[in-house]
Amino acid sequence: MRNPVILALAIKSLRNRKFTAALTLMSIALAVLLLLGVERIRHESRESFAAMISGTDLVVGARSSPVHLLLAAVFHIGNATNNLRWDSYRAIATGPGVAWTIPLSLGDSHRGYRVLGTTPDYFEHFRYARDRRIMLAQGRAFEDQHDTVLGADVAQALKYKLGDSIVIAHGAGDVSFSLHEQHPFRVAGILARTGTPVDRTVHVSLEGLDAVHEDAAEGQAADPLAALIGKDPRAARIKPSAPRAITAFLVGLNSRAAALSMQRVVNEYSGEPLTAVLPGLALQEVWEITAAVEKTLFAVSALVVVVGLAGMLVALLTSLNERRREMAVLRSVGAGPTHVFALILGEAAFLTAAGIALGVAGLYAGLLGGRPWLESRLGLFIALGPPSAYELALIVLVGTAGLLIGLIPAYRIYRYSLADGMTLRI
Amino acid sequence: MALSTVSPGTQLLMGEMSTLQSSRIPLMAKSEETPEPVVELSNVRFSWAAVSPIVLDIESLRVAKAERIFLRGPSGSGKSTLLSLLAGVVVPREGTVRVLGKNLGTLGSAARDRFRADHIGFIFQMFNLIPYLSVVENVCLPCGFSDRRRLRATRAGASVEAEAVRLLAHLDMADAAVLCRPVTDLSVGQQQRVAAARALIGAPELVIADEPTSSLDADRRSAFLDLLFRECARESTTLIFVSHDASLAPQFDREIAFGGVNRALAPSADAIA
Repeated sequence: MRNPVILALAIKSLRNRKFTAALTLMSIALAVLLLLGVERIRHESRESFAAMISGTDLVVGARSSPVHLLLAAVFHIGNATNNLRWDSYRAIATGPGVAWTIPLSLGDSHRGYRVLGTTPDYFEHFRYARDRRIMLAQGRAFEDQHDTVLGADVAQALKYKLGDSIVIAHGAGDVSFSLHEQHPFRVAGILARTGTPVDRTVHVSLEGLDAVHEDAAEGQAADPLAALIGKDPRAARIKPSAPRAITAFLVGLNSRAAALSMQRVVNEYSGEPLTAVLPGLALQEVWEITAAVEKTLFAVSALVVVVGLAGMLVALLTSLNERRREMAVLRSVGAGPTHVFALILGEAAFLTAAGIALGVAGLYAGLLGGRPWLESRLGLFIALGPPSAYELALIVLVGTAGLLIGLIPAYRIYRYSLADGMTLRI
Repeated sequence: MALSTVSPGTQLLMGEMSTLQSSRIPLMAKSEETPEPVVELSNVRFSWAAVSPIVLDIESLRVAKAERIFLRGPSGSGKSTLLSLLAGVVVPREGTVRVLGKNLGTLGSAARDRFRADHIGFIFQMFNLIPYLSVVENVCLPCGFSDRRRLRATRAGASVEAEAVRLLAHLDMADAAVLCRPVTDLSVGQQQRVAAARALIGAPELVIADEPTSSLDADRRSAFLDLLFRECARESTTLIFVSHDASLAPQFDREIAFGGVNRALAPSADAIA
């Protein structure tokens, strides 16, 4: 009977101080939103990166740092420093234990989107998010060297449809002065959305890519950049059907357990210096690099929570003096010091709980609304799942902190109500 | 033995002894049938802390059922401390405070709070109402803390709210327009009548009013007292009315001059007087 009275009083009292209560609520909600948002984006970006390489056992490229190779070859962040020879690729691809390989050739772009030269094996064998394969939303995979298959974001952002003609440019920038205009591509297919960098990639066949550079070499006999990326135009002319070099290749093994021994085989390959990367491990290294930034962000958002709760403390403490009269009246009708204590603590608990609820609701609303932007701008595919155990732990932590902070004004009013007795000594 | 018997050491009857005595006679006859006093203090000494001086020292004080007591004394004479003792908010260092036969000193703090909720109604000088509750919610408040008063308020079969409206009507506060207004918009007189309704709801045995009329003008003061007496008489409620305004005393059964009762204050109280 009594606790419902105290609860009703706490709620009515808060309603009476709508403005202050709303401000307190908002500051807690925003703090919770920020804290959970930072955590959600950190977690989802890791998930998103991990999903991209979940089906791949090894990434092989010319000798370089594993992180650099992984980021350049798979995530199209930065550029690979060296290419590896086609015959090295063939030698390893046909080795024992190898289930499939996907050659990757990077270096060109189309209006800011990376162009990836590969083979139809890419559509056949590439797996993301554990076991999902790349699906075509429209059209078909490339069949000849004039075909291109666009990632979902590319087609959507540039408003391309099947049959459109596109021209790729040398280098990775948004604006390039070196367009391969002699060799336009025709949009043959558009991929379904994957939530991975695949969505932001223009896919062409290795032959098509070679043909582009061959044409370019003919057009500009002394292209200084051709030498830089290791493509000798004379060699291309001699053997146009087999590419001379690729940036990297992905390897799927018959048994994932063989990855370590296969890595050693590749690293000790005698033909040229190569690096084989276990993508999971390399990704861990990436996270170690970004951990400091993540921790800073987390600390900042945790501080914002502290500020939000401190705001509540200030609001509650400043209201106490004027509420001593109210407490004396409540005491006179039979409220004990513990009721008075519970009334203030209940207010803090309500503000914290409502703030958390509002913050979580805001987070989901924000994710729902911001998802297309995050996907297109940052390549983050954010799942709208229920809060994770870690997020729940954070929520519980904020709630507990709110209660603990509520103890301060609650204890003060408890002391007051003992000292004031039945007298309104204001 | 009469309940209002005065112990020899205290001077309960001051200036208007003769008028009071005349009104006491029928009361004494009635109180013979109920020997248990509503309030009984004996040898009570109180200080706020163990080391601080004694602020209250009362040898004996008895109030009979349905008695209307006028407790008069200057401010600072320990009246508020006495009310805190009667309310069970504090307990005496020495002696016993009995209310309705219960020795409050033997009860725990939570039990004293429950006892207060069940049996005592309070009216303060001002700021009686919870600003964020409606008039009716303010009146119903004690029933939220006391099952006993809730049951007594709903004896007639109506809801607590209906009982609150009925009481307000008896105090000339039934106007729907008044009931709907925020309590902070009510006049002081209206606020005091709402406070009286709150003190009376659920028919507590004892109503304590701490200078409830001091912010009212003379006309409203006597109207308020009439209403309060009428409602107390209906349930045979004992009323302890604290004031420094001696002109109200004739309307009560008995006047107690607090400066005389409280031995801790006696010399200085005389000096002030």
